[in-house]
Amino acid sequence: MSVTGAPDVRRLLPDVLEVAREHAAETDEDARFPTEALDALRRSGLLGLLVSAEHGGLGGTAREMLEISDRLSRECMSVGMIFAMHCQQVATVVEYAGEELRASLLPRIARGEVYIASVTTEPGKGGHLLTSQSPLAGDGEWLHLDRMAPVVTGGAHADGFLITMLAPDADSPGQVSLVYADRDQLDLEQVGGWNPLGMRATHSVPMKIVGDVPAAQVVGRHGEFREMSTRVFAPLAHLGWATCWLGAAAGALSRTLRMFREPDERKKRDLRSELLLTRLSRIRQRLDTVHALIEHGLVRYTSQAEGADLSAPPVQLLLNAVKLTASEQCLAAVDELVELTGMRHGYLRGSKLALERTLRDLRSASLNYANDRLHQADGALTLMDAEVRFA
Amino acid sequence: MEDQFATLLRPYLRFLPEGEEVRPDARLRDLGLDSMQAIELLFDIEDSYQVTLPDERLNDRTFETADSLWRAVDEERDSGGRS
Repeated sequence: MSVTGAPDVRRLLPDVLEVAREHAAETDEDARFPTEALDALRRSGLLGLLVSAEHGGLGGTAREMLEISDRLSRECMSVGMIFAMHCQQVATVVEYAGEELRASLLPRIARGEVYIASVTTEPGKGGHLLTSQSPLAGDGEWLHLDRMAPVVTGGAHADGFLITMLAPDADSPGQVSLVYADRDQLDLEQVGGWNPLGMRATHSVPMKIVGDVPAAQVVGRHGEFREMSTRVFAPLAHLGWATCWLGAAAGALSRTLRMFREPDERKKRDLRSELLLTRLSRIRQRLDTVHALIEHGLVRYTSQAEGADLSAPPVQLLLNAVKLTASEQCLAAVDELVELTGMRHGYLRGSKLALERTLRDLRSASLNYANDRLHQADGALTLMDAEVRFA
Repeated sequence: MEDQFATLLRPYLRFLPEGEEVRPDARLRDLGLDSMQAIELLFDIEDSYQVTLPDERLNDRTFETADSLWRAVDEERDSGGRS
């Protein structure tokens, strides 16, 4: 799967997968960040997956990013999301940061020293990605940041942050800049706790962020976040999240199937039952639908290299459909697995199938950039495409 | 860009200070045009100019500036893309 000559990144995975598996139940129980899995990711070099070999990274592809997110999420969806979102940040730095920032930051990421968290939420606007109410101040040499962020995944553990801010001298909330800041360049205050239904190990806390960074730490041109979002940030978010959700549901189905096939279990259950077969088929159908959409979305995403325009409504609609469909179908698949396996294996917290945790984790999918908001955008995009072209 | 087009655009640019004219290089998104308004603006243009912008023109490049949008409208007028 990897580019000819590039190292096969999948050989780096087993250690990380084992650590993620080992701590999945406990980090969920305690709602704490999976530091052991992050350390394993640091050691593996996978934090630098999307950094080029020239900067010391693995020179991996978006496809490899998704493959690894899938495998991690089968063990622990929080770890998968942490990895996928880090890669999304790195891809944005690789594509848009200036030479100075790239030369200093990318080798550190490749060495596993920098895990990057994303700061895009603001009070009052929720997860609305393309606006900001927090102006960047500055004197040309320095940029001053001062903002609240209600949800920062891994905020207490990240080594660096990519932060959306209102561009200096902006005329409207839509002129958003993206700024990179090292942890030690910021005064960070955690202003609340984290005790959610699921995704508990992402430790996504509210933070107050204040600091000054050199002007060269702006990523892309000031006020141009929208373009970065259309081309890289949003597509990789949707593809990455959807892959984590699919991985979590696929892991749940796989654990269930292995249990059904154990000799002792086979005696307890009629595997030729029409109800059981129909349910399994429906679950698998949901996952294959999501997989096909992700594959197609990935092909469209990578076709940018040949000059394809990702801002065209049919492409935007497809990439949004990846997110919307995955968030609904993966949850529905695991819900159906709970129905199929029943109270003991499906609903109890201590069950080795961990369907209960997976179901709670997947309940976040529709809220992780709210589907309601995405449908509003899709409605407008649909009106734009009266011919109804498909990407 | 003709004056009538600037007048048509004006209400969609809520962050353009009052009394300031719509310049050809005015960046529409920066001045407040979001995706919901973009579709309303499109209908407004189609009604006012009796043109239909083809789907392949409905992308970020066309809606980038007042001038890029005007050129799309003007070219469709010339090529007879009347509805």
